[in-house]
Amino acid sequence: MQICRIIQLTAAEKGKYFRGWFSMIDIRNVYKEYGTDIVALKNINLEIDRGEFVFVVGSSGAGKSTLLKLLHMDARPTRGSIKVFGRDITRLKNREVPLLRRNLGMVFQDFHLLSDRNVFENVAFALRVIGTPPREIRKRVPLSLELVGLKDKAFKRPDELSGGEQQRVCVARAIVNRPAVLMADEPTGNLDPNTSMGIMKLFHEINIRGTTLIVATHAKELVDHFQKRVIVVENGAVVSDRERGVYINAH
Amino acid sequence: MHIRSLFYFIGEALKSIARNGWMSVASIAVVAITLLILGSFMVLNYNVTLITEDVKEQVQIVLYVDEEASGEDRLKLQQKLVGHPQMEEVRFVSRDEALERLKRQLGDRSYLVEGYEGEDNPLRDSYELRTKIPEDIAIVAGEIKEYPGVDYVDYGSGVVEPLFQFTGVVRWMGLIFMAGLAVTAVFLIAHTIRLTVYIRRKEIMIMKYVGATDWFIRWPFVFEGLILGFIGAVIPIIIIYYGYNTAVAWAQTNIYFVSLVSPEDIIEEMVKVLLPLGVILGVLGSSISVRRFLKV
Ligand SMILES: Nc1ncnc2c1ncn2[C@@H]1O[C@H](COP(=O)(O)OP(=O)(O)OP(=O)(O)O)[C@@H](O)[C@H]1O
Ligand SMILES: [Mg+2]
Repeated sequence: MQICRIIQLTAAEKGKYFRGWFSMIDIRNVYKEYGTDIVALKNINLEIDRGEFVFVVGSSGAGKSTLLKLLHMDARPTRGSIKVFGRDITRLKNREVPLLRRNLGMVFQDFHLLSDRNVFENVAFALRVIGTPPREIRKRVPLSLELVGLKDKAFKRPDELSGGEQQRVCVARAIVNRPAVLMADEPTGNLDPNTSMGIMKLFHEINIRGTTLIVATHAKELVDHFQKRVIVVENGAVVSDRERGVYINAH
Repeated sequence: MHIRSLFYFIGEALKSIARNGWMSVASIAVVAITLLILGSFMVLNYNVTLITEDVKEQVQIVLYVDEEASGEDRLKLQQKLVGHPQMEEVRFVSRDEALERLKRQLGDRSYLVEGYEGEDNPLRDSYELRTKIPEDIAIVAGEIKEYPGVDYVDYGSGVVEPLFQFTGVVRWMGLIFMAGLAVTAVFLIAHTIRLTVYIRRKEIMIMKYVGATDWFIRWPFVFEGLILGFIGAVIPIIIIYYGYNTAVAWAQTNIYFVSLVSPEDIIEEMVKVLLPLGVILGVLGSSISVRRFLKV
């Protein structure tokens, strides 16, 4: 009778069993230099767990956007490793990058909506271009629009919407493929305080539903209001990293 | 490639073609002109080749034997002709035979030569000669003219030689001209695709951000070039089809003895050659721009 069995796990099984053990994002000794004299990031070490809500703050030129770009493989670090879902993405082959990005939604300050098609088509675009079947698109786009509160504006064009509504469309587009992580780079930079609060509440809602949120922002009041983890970057280095933090300006 | 994606790429490509308006028209036009010229040359070439074959068949030297020649001279002449290294065929036509032929040619007017049989026959004995290589005919004719017992020789000079030269010159001029046009076509298509890349830069950026693969981003541009080239090939095929049909109809009523390639054969050949060429020009143009301007 066999009592004890040593199981040799395949790579896929390892992923299945151990994924939860790793931090969702694990940044180790990361440097990013542009040319020889610009050091955008130096020796960054960060861990972000599944389901966290993280604000990244810091003055202009501190390196916030650069940090998000590295996670999104928009740029590769000069040194160091970045593990996402336990895998070192700095070693990804170019053709593997799209697959990573399908798991990392991204929202920008500028809305980047396509003005020649309606809200529904803008959101559907994100699914179409990764080869999602139409059946699936018809199902998921309304769900996503409902979550951001734009179900009744589905057939309006972007220029018929307010700035806040346009940003909600971008959020809907970023989450329609159900990414594990949603990143936003100054998502409220072009919005008034009230509308900004609405967007931030939407992020909070999305976070509660299980998506990890990373938000780079200058909006002090919002950061203070939400009492989430705050990572402060200055001159390319992490100078503070606190749970339930507030916005601190190094200067 | 999934069939759904294929439809998506073609749909996006068609949208771009419509949106690029005059640039698309210009690209298609240059491809069409290039292939129209190529096609016309091909049509001309097929027919010239066919006619040349026809003429070659008919190309022969007729050697008239001197009436005064002795029996010995005639025998020697025949031996020299048969022994000539460049000679393919030597056929003796006696004056009686020649008269019979003439009668046959005249048909119901054969009464015109009645009474010229036998000693009164005004025609002469002759040889019909064919050279191994039709192009050698002039040289051979010059040589045998000097043989004893020869009155004179006759061959289709003036018609044959220019015809042989014509095909060579036409071919070279056409090739050089077309090469230039083809390069123009490729660059115009490349420029059109570049315009599309520019117009679609925002879409491309979003596609990258949401995780579309590089090839998914590239395919619509490749298809745009392919479709431009395809349309550019279909137009000359249609023009040549109707043009050639008209030409053949005209030739049949006006110069009925000439043999021409059938319109069906011409169209089949055009489709086989022009369509792939158009597609190649299109894809070549789009790959240049996809490589240079589509940073994916
Ligand atoms: N592509 C690039 N080439 C050269 N230098 C760059 C590039 N991108 C960023 N930098 C530099 O890296 C540094 C960090 O830039 P980054 O955009 O990350 O700052 P940021 O914190 O997002 O600033 P902001 O709050 O103004 O958006 C800056 O000094 C910037 O000039
Ligand atoms: Mg920035």
